[in-house]
Amino acid sequence: MSNPLRDMEKPDVIFCIGTNMTECHPVAATRLKKAIRNGAKMIVADPRRIALTEIADVTLQIRVGSDSALLLAMAHVIHREGLVDEGFMRDRTTEAEAFLAHLAEFTPEWATEITGVDPDLIEEAALLYGRAERGAIYYTLGITEHICGVDNVQGLCNLALMTGNIGREGTGINPMRGQNNIQGAGDVGAIPNNYPGFQSVIDPANQAKFAKAWGREVDLEKGITKVRALEQAGDQIRAMLIDGENTVVTDPDRDHCERALKSLDFLVVCDLFMTETAELADVVFPASGFGETDGTQTNTERRVQRLRRAVPPAGEAKPDWWIVSQLAQRMGFQGFGYTSAKDVFNELCSVSGTYAGLNWDRVEFGEYQWPVPEEGHPGTPRLHEKEFINGRGIFKLIRYRDPAETIDDDFPVWLTTGRRLASYHSRTQTGRSEGIDYLLSEESLEVNPGDLEAWKIEDGGWVKMSSRRGSVRVRVEATNRSPRGTVFSSFSFNDVPVNVLTGSGYDPITDTAELKVCPVRIERD
Amino acid sequence: MSDQTGLTLTLDGASVSFTKGESIFQVAERHGKEIPTLCYDDRLDAFGACRLCIVEVEGARAPVASCTTKAEPGMRVTTRSGALEMHRRVLLELVVSENREVDVDELSGYASQELTTLVDRYDARTGRFEGRISGTSRPDDPNPFILRDYANCISCYRCVRVCAEQEGDYAISIMNRGFDTQITTEFEGHLKESACTFCGQCVQTCPTGALGDIKALRHKAIEKPVEKTRSICPYCGVGCAVDIMTKGDQIVGIQPAMDGPANEGALCVKGQFAFDFVHHPDRLKTPFVRNDHGQLVPTTWEVALDKAAAGLLAAVNEHGRHSLYAVASGRAPNEAGYVMQKFVRAGLGTSYIDNCSRA
Amino acid sequence: MTQTTDELIADALLQPAPLLPLLHRLHERDGYLSEEALRAVSKGLRTPLADLFGTVTFYHHFSREAGGLDALRVCTGPICRLNGAEQLVDALEGSTGMACSGRCDEPIPVLRGGQTLVGLRADALELRETPLPPAPPQGIEECVFAHIRDDDRKQLAGYRRTGGYQALEQAVTSMTPEALLDLIDASGLTGRGGAGFPTGRKWRAVRDASGGPKTVVCNADEGEPGCFKDRALMDHDPHGVLEGMALACIATGASRAFLYLRYEYPETEHVLLRAIEDAEAAGILGDDVFGSGQTVHLHLRRGAGAYICGEETSLLNSLEGKHPFPRNRPPYPVTHGFEGTPTAVNNVETLSSVAPIVLHGAEWYRGLGLGDHAGTKVISLSGDIERPGNYEVPMGLPLRTLLFEWAGGGRKGHEIQAVTMAGLSGGFLAGDDLDVTLDEPSIRSKRSFLGAGGIMVFDETRDMVDVAHSAMEFFAHESCGKCFPCRIGTQRLTERLAGSAGPTEPGAWLDEVADINRTMKETSACGLGHAAPLIAESLVRYFPAAVQNHIAHSSRSTGLDT
Repeated sequence: MSNPLRDMEKPDVIFCIGTNMTECHPVAATRLKKAIRNGAKMIVADPRRIALTEIADVTLQIRVGSDSALLLAMAHVIHREGLVDEGFMRDRTTEAEAFLAHLAEFTPEWATEITGVDPDLIEEAALLYGRAERGAIYYTLGITEHICGVDNVQGLCNLALMTGNIGREGTGINPMRGQNNIQGAGDVGAIPNNYPGFQSVIDPANQAKFAKAWGREVDLEKGITKVRALEQAGDQIRAMLIDGENTVVTDPDRDHCERALKSLDFLVVCDLFMTETAELADVVFPASGFGETDGTQTNTERRVQRLRRAVPPAGEAKPDWWIVSQLAQRMGFQGFGYTSAKDVFNELCSVSGTYAGLNWDRVEFGEYQWPVPEEGHPGTPRLHEKEFINGRGIFKLIRYRDPAETIDDDFPVWLTTGRRLASYHSRTQTGRSEGIDYLLSEESLEVNPGDLEAWKIEDGGWVKMSSRRGSVRVRVEATNRSPRGTVFSSFSFNDVPVNVLTGSGYDPITDTAELKVCPVRIERD
Repeated sequence: MSDQTGLTLTLDGASVSFTKGESIFQVAERHGKEIPTLCYDDRLDAFGACRLCIVEVEGARAPVASCTTKAEPGMRVTTRSGALEMHRRVLLELVVSENREVDVDELSGYASQELTTLVDRYDARTGRFEGRISGTSRPDDPNPFILRDYANCISCYRCVRVCAEQEGDYAISIMNRGFDTQITTEFEGHLKESACTFCGQCVQTCPTGALGDIKALRHKAIEKPVEKTRSICPYCGVGCAVDIMTKGDQIVGIQPAMDGPANEGALCVKGQFAFDFVHHPDRLKTPFVRNDHGQLVPTTWEVALDKAAAGLLAAVNEHGRHSLYAVASGRAPNEAGYVMQKFVRAGLGTSYIDNCSRA
Repeated sequence: MTQTTDELIADALLQPAPLLPLLHRLHERDGYLSEEALRAVSKGLRTPLADLFGTVTFYHHFSREAGGLDALRVCTGPICRLNGAEQLVDALEGSTGMACSGRCDEPIPVLRGGQTLVGLRADALELRETPLPPAPPQGIEECVFAHIRDDDRKQLAGYRRTGGYQALEQAVTSMTPEALLDLIDASGLTGRGGAGFPTGRKWRAVRDASGGPKTVVCNADEGEPGCFKDRALMDHDPHGVLEGMALACIATGASRAFLYLRYEYPETEHVLLRAIEDAEAAGILGDDVFGSGQTVHLHLRRGAGAYICGEETSLLNSLEGKHPFPRNRPPYPVTHGFEGTPTAVNNVETLSSVAPIVLHGAEWYRGLGLGDHAGTKVISLSGDIERPGNYEVPMGLPLRTLLFEWAGGGRKGHEIQAVTMAGLSGGFLAGDDLDVTLDEPSIRSKRSFLGAGGIMVFDETRDMVDVAHSAMEFFAHESCGKCFPCRIGTQRLTERLAGSAGPTEPGAWLDEVADINRTMKETSACGLGHAAPLIAESLVRYFPAAVQNHIAHSSRSTGLDT
């Protein structure tokens, strides 16, 4: 997030797109509700009538995968109505002129054709955001899990840049991170392109710096993404070490994924449970979990906080860092003689620019948000206040692109996927916590009652849902949350493995899967 | 800003400064005065129900509720006097008289000891003002999380207010009036049928244990002290600070950290109630290796580590260092991710690593 | 044709303060408030369902069961109890009791849907016109009742015949608001609903307050037991009230006003709606008051049975569709009233006094009172008295003069034992303390107050402990439940006066009651909690022997039910 969580109580106009925040980030959503209680207006764009729409002032029920068209049209209106922040564009951005010229063709009427949203509503939303004193954008995977995820994000950046809604309290472009430490995983360099602290691996200076720190020179080229690694499994990729991820269930195209892991020569998995992924491993290590481990994690607002051990780990379970260090040592790698999480974290801080001013003791109370470039620095709750990381904000001339697969006679219904409040991911944890079943004990496919009637399927009945990749059986639930022609399911329940169906395409830049769009066929079962 | 500085009032004889908009209660608390209250939660709008926080303000006809009275320049405020303490004691005796019981287990919730503590401080267990008990408990509600024992409710409305003002769910409300006041939901149904999301904020602000944490209370019988360890919720990326409650080696419950920077006392149903997976029998307690029959069987760390190291090395030796791929977890701590990426970078000189952020 | 719920919601949304009228229309359409209707209202008005549900349950008269609207409700107020109201409830199948419904000068009222019947027996209930105030003694000049007995006074023509709406016309055509405020200041007019705040000062505060739009509210939620003066004014002189509201708007700079009418006056609603319609049609109210270009829109809003809504901040919450708890003050309504805007809340009688003051002058009004006391006060007199009714007395009139000379004294052959003051809120006066004059300083010196001017008379045949018990039961029933001392205190006092709980040892009993009284008076959040203890306190003061007897003979065998 560009802005801190507490800023969520400050906007006068909130724009939520592709984020079912009350279910997926409930505590963050409470702050938006407070802002609304204090008079803020809210625009919600989502294919479904999610709970946020009940408190929204403008609801844009867009067709799945049409986000970028909506964003272009909103930008068009903002420009046409003279609501651009000229000073901000002049002082802080580049490519502004080209961008404004680019917008000419993207009228609300044009976008209506794609999004299915009334042009008046698009105008209304654009005017609301365009006139905001403090406009803030919030999004989640509904924006990124598309083949055009990067375009979508850039579309949002364009809106913020043209209206100057960034770098100030109550504004910003704020992705809500989905997992407790997904932010941290990137921060610490567990990505193919960056060393810890987002230091590029293709920069020779960084290569030299880390060679000095670690005693080994790392390739001057990016690694491959997990998506590519799974594609190359059994071929170029022969062994994998997977920590705490139920890849089989949570990644798209389950069959492909399972085949990939099975084709490896050797698979090592660390986890809390014998997950579907662990079942495929040659060696499984028991990792210590919540309440059993000391450590740090970094939240969606870049806040580094301490985890503390409250009880001994289950059985012989060990911290992940210990397991991997042991493995490294046995493989003859140098520099893994850590004796505590503190050792590891302090080393991380010593090599990461963003964490440079931190150490184990300084994160005791969790008051720092990175970047913290040196000791004594107060941290950076709000990014881009004076300037952007690369100097100026760059407008991107995006265009709308169709999803990888679109509906046709064979697969005439849009399936979109996501989470529900009471279940988390593949339910390895929530499914093993007592009482959660009382709230949600099985998956159901949310279908508009009109569609059920048209398809002659009873509410609560079983259907077979198929995509180009496979089929699942699921019970249907009639609900107006789903618009006509679009159905929804979570990916939490093992007996409704919707990721058998998904995986039609990937964003060309990030390799993020298009989990939010999947044409399907629904038949009575 | 000039009108916001230099404001002073007299508090128990001493001149103290305050800022515009502060209540007398806030000023007094800041200056170390212990003013009793039952309906106050500093996250909520001041409400003025319990009247325990009354203070004397020179010139006022009667004591005023310090929580709902703004500090004014020149005010002369007394926070403790014979008359005030007498009223406070009578009020507490009245409260004791309307409840089935005053002493509840501390596992009930974060604020659950507030009534007991005050009643002891004011020696208010006198048995006076005996009469009808207020509030009807709802043992019929089968929800496994939130105890609804309204016979211990004192109608402070903290639950109603926290649900509206902090959580924004507006699931609970006030039914009837006067002594027949009842905390309820729409049409008196069960919580599951209401707008309740089981975030537990009502439980944690309840000062009497009328709303209680059912999951934690199951561990009431364990005769060990409750200890609290500050950590962070293991679910989404918001990073809510929690206090893990333990008795011995067992996690018995979760309480939100009121001073958690990301959550300021809030949690959701997952963070609040979905913690016991930690002790689930399905937890892996030893390493496993695949045996010659293709089955995963328990083994020792030594064996498993050796086998894993050998297996991974074999691939690297045979197919090169770019044949090993590591997937770090977005669920594990920073230290796990750091060591993982260092494993491929410092160990193999590649960046063949990713995490689960792409799906 | 019956309107659909969605149509009713759409209509309601065109109006300010839409919730109560919408609920009433659904209540009247269906005979109760169904779950389905409430769900639709919640959605339509974007008000949380749980809040809406809770708020509906707060009001006595909203029924949530089919047929509930038409179920008979019998007044079991203090005077009707003397007349056998509880027996009448038993005799009328399916009927329930209700708090004093403001007809203490008539036989027992029975509410049936939108009608009020009166009678003493189940087989002899009839519709009856609101009684006119008895004529004053010779030589007494009245203010609000001066023309109430005139023929045709209810009608616009009749009202205008004796100078009606001249004051308003004068105010908009030949006076500045400042001059109007000065005049009201000079008259010494103070709030007639009980609080006694200077009306001119209140209006000036609203006029001077920043923010807007400004609002006037006429408090016609006459819920105090033993008070029925506002009903007489509204039923017989509705235009007098409306003119007062319009003048208040002109003086404060408001362009809208609400009249909040208690549920139990269904006929009055029709009288007022007709009067508003006529005055608007005549160009007197509306967008162009007497061609002055000034706008005054009057809206009628009906309560649903909650005494606390007579408290001005509860009333405002009720108007806004919120839970009708009293608000914390400050801020006061003059700066933060209806929807947070500057608002003048005035009682019916206060507003009815304004037009006569404008017409006859401040000096005239001041001179109506005796001695230093300005103006008049309407007293609703009821109970064991020869001629019950509304009397507009000069401020400062001796109580005994009213009781014995104006109203004919107690029932034949009986002695007046005690009277209540301020309806029930002032507690009892008895013995030598009946030698007060009808003005606040005199009555306050006896630890009571005049308030809204309801006086109920009890002769020596009445069991004063029982009277006190039913009075406390009323307060307990009407306590909103927000603040602890009132919520628990009224309940515990009721139990002790019923003898169903509490100590059996007199010293302990008296200590408990005294402690509750003191803490309630000193720490309660609003007037209800300050007033209710006066009943118990004055009972103990004037009737110690009866109290001792009560404690000695209290039976705990009835359990804790009261």
